[in-house]
Amino acid sequence: MNTLEEVLTILDKVLNLEGRALLFREDTALLGAVPELDSMAVVALIAALEDWFGLAIDDEDINATTFATVGSLTHFVGTRIAA
Amino acid sequence: MPCEAFFLPAQHGQRLCIFHGAPGQALLGLVLFVHPFAEEMNKSRRMAALQSRALAAAGYAVLQIDLHGCGDSSGDFGDARWATWVDDVVHACHWLRGRANAQGVSIESAPLWIWGLRGGCLLALAAAAQLDETCNFLFWQPPASGKVLLQQFLRLKLAADMRNGQAQGVMGALREQLAQGQSVEIAGYTLSAELAMGLQNQALAPPPGNAAPRRVEWFEVSAQEPPRLSALPSAMLEAWEQAAGHLQRHAVPGPAFWQSGEMVDAPELLAATTAALSVLAP
Repeated sequence: MNTLEEVLTILDKVLNLEGRALLFREDTALLGAVPELDSMAVVALIAALEDWFGLAIDDEDINATTFATVGSLTHFVGTRIAA
Repeated sequence: MPCEAFFLPAQHGQRLCIFHGAPGQALLGLVLFVHPFAEEMNKSRRMAALQSRALAAAGYAVLQIDLHGCGDSSGDFGDARWATWVDDVVHACHWLRGRANAQGVSIESAPLWIWGLRGGCLLALAAAAQLDETCNFLFWQPPASGKVLLQQFLRLKLAADMRNGQAQGVMGALREQLAQGQSVEIAGYTLSAELAMGLQNQALAPPPGNAAPRRVEWFEVSAQEPPRLSALPSAMLEAWEQAAGHLQRHAVPGPAFWQSGEMVDAPELLAATTAALSVLAP
């Protein structure tokens, strides 16, 4: 699995999308577009990403730009893995 | 097996309790469920009820308590204090033991388990240090520390503000308010500074000395295939292995039901938990 596929898998599990997230593309909008992504889901998603990739995400890095699209989130995770 | 709801008199009023009695004669043990924090409590009600019933059917006397300011107990969430919650857990343990004593059930034959989910695990640890008997722990998804749990809770405000484009500096401002002894408002909950600090200061560490548990059954649900336990500092795990007579960590497949948008069950967790506690001497 590449990072995009892993992010989609995590999105699907955390938001209980039952496979729908696996069809998302890089330009699929997330924050404000996916109704399941409420505040609790954002926090759950961050925790799941931290756990899955073994990361510690900084509060400063949590902003609307990061969660705008599948692509922006995947890019962010990629930079954290590399860091 | 029918369950019985009642109000337990406690500090600042009363607590709603639900007692699930074990059918038949042989009582395997006593179990107190300690619910998780804030909205996670509501999300996990169904799983807590299902597991309580399953453990009662397996021979345990199970008590669920709504802590001060939670559920149908006295007080508002904003009135809740860490110290009061710890006292509530101790008080509920005493109630369970008192009931067993009245039935002539000995401590040796029916050990006490504190079963925590998420933040409930941390409260279990704090309460165990104040009990006059050794208890076992049943952990469901223990957070790496109280600090991590508090951070996740504060992030709810960050996530809400992020949607309005106002996330900058939110966390720092919340922590500053708490440090000054002020309450903060998060996702419809008023969090007192005392509760935040109590939570923050509670480590996921075995209670000291005589309070060290004989048995720890530690469960994590995982979305990964195969299911995987979360990575914890090796020093923390070593401390647990040294302190506990028997420590078993289990990873089972299942959803994060305590934070899921919809009500979901984790049947593998229920089955594995009941199976673990049905083994008397691992």
